[in-house]
Amino acid sequence: DGPIQYERVGADVTMKCGSMDWDAAVTWTVNGTDINESHLNGSYLILRNVNLSQSGQYACYEGSSWHLKYQTYLRVGTPPKEPVLMCRSNNYPKGFYCSWHLPTPTYIPNTFNISVIHGTKDMVCEKDAVPKNRCHIRYLQLFSTVKYKVTLTVTNALGKNYTALTFDEFAIVKPDPPESVVAKPVPNNPRRLEVSWQNPSSWPDPESFPLKFFLRYRPLILDQWQHVELSDGTSHTITDAYAGKEYIIQVAAKDNDIGTWSDWSVAVHATPWTEEPKHLTTEAQITETTSASTSSFMAPPTTKICDKGAVVGSGAVAVCWTAGLVVAAYSVLFI
Amino acid sequence: MAAADSPSTALRRRDLCSRGIRLAGKMRADVVDLLDAYVEQQGLDASASVAAVEGVPLAAVERWDEQTGTQRLLENLAAYRAFRALLAQMLEEQREQLGEADAGLGRALAAVLLQVSAFAYHLEELLRLESRGIPGEEEDDGPPPPPRLSLFEQKLRGLGVLRELAQWAVRSVRDLRQLTKPSPATAAAPGLAESP
Repeated sequence: DGPIQYERVGADVTMKCGSMDWDAAVTWTVNGTDINESHLNGSYLILRNVNLSQSGQYACYEGSSWHLKYQTYLRVGTPPKEPVLMCRSNNYPKGFYCSWHLPTPTYIPNTFNISVIHGTKDMVCEKDAVPKNRCHIRYLQLFSTVKYKVTLTVTNALGKNYTALTFDEFAIVKPDPPESVVAKPVPNNPRRLEVSWQNPSSWPDPESFPLKFFLRYRPLILDQWQHVELSDGTSHTITDAYAGKEYIIQVAAKDNDIGTWSDWSVAVHATPWTEEPKHLTTEAQITETTSASTSSFMAPPTTKICDKGAVVGSGAVAVCWTAGLVVAAYSVLFI
Repeated sequence: MAAADSPSTALRRRDLCSRGIRLAGKMRADVVDLLDAYVEQQGLDASASVAAVEGVPLAAVERWDEQTGTQRLLENLAAYRAFRALLAQMLEEQREQLGEADAGLGRALAAVLLQVSAFAYHLEELLRLESRGIPGEEEDDGPPPPPRLSLFEQKLRGLGVLRELAQWAVRSVRDLRQLTKPSPATAAAPGLAESP
């Protein structure tokens, strides 16, 4: 296929047809298609202000014999911008990983070179197969005050660039979010939700390096989150949920002593337990109930939907105030 | 722990470790606050790299997870005893330098010194539980005291001392947690492997 020629976007490119004289009759093609003679200066191909779409296989043929005299693969691209580098320990105290990317693509192949120094000692960052732009280091020492310096150099045919990070062992500790977050209603408890989760599987030794957790929850209809910090355990019961409202819940984790909070876990949804409202299953029944008619709302005899003390009124028209709130809320929705 | 461990010993160890963990946690929080105050009042750059200072026990350790319980306790004890002396020296220097002008920093230093002493005593208790002789404190061992440092060198050393102490406080919490873990059946039981 011939050599590869790399050129910057916006450059002017002149291609010679091998050893052919300037005044030789030639035909140039790009990806098999003839190029208009207006781009030629004698036998030279002139491409001005090249753009990405002009990348391709260029070939030059002698005029009459159609012998291939020259070919090259033109790749138009850019030199690399300063790369973005991130290092993090999500598996403390085993080690840490660094990952990187370019803020904008170069459209041509790039080579990344990473070096890690701990004080004066060189350390090897082993490249991961997947994902590609990542490498990991095992800690040889723990509890060191000496900082780590990670330098990343990116090189391609059109230039190079680099960036560096300096940090200490504790600063980059950030666990992965908790896993398997589950939220369930609690039977016969209209204001409770039971939430449980697991330590992130990447955290190698939660017994010796326990995590603490941060739970946040809110009903879908509100914007403000409630927060709870939990220093141990992987479960929590929310006791102040609004009855009948669907909640969104997330959990984050942090090493008990060092580092920063993880990202929030995948959100789970749950609605607190409510009594099966047989009387409230149709709109007509709801409107009827709220207009204080004698066909009153009555809880089915075997089940309760409110605390004993919350009943107001008496006799056949007794309505629990909490049930009344729920009914009022429903009626608001249907107006 | 080893089969020779009586239930009461195990309980006492667990209790000492839990209290030690709390002590170390509180100590770390106070050292971090002291570090901030120290940097500010001594006019230092918080990000300054301080070369390892002679006599300051480094918290950095290789193969930490392979240490036995006894090793952990002995290393911790040696470190906190050293910090006790270093902090006492810093307090002395502080008083010489500033007299009463910086009473706040002096008080904070004294408070941390107290916690360091308390923690060292706590470690001795744990070692006693391991039926370990407690290493004597070597008053005049080691190299002669270094020549008197300049004021600036004193400040830098102080920074180094407090930084290492903060690291040690975190390490101690981890070490004590390791002590509360049941030892693996095949590995040498931390602390009780050699019985007379």
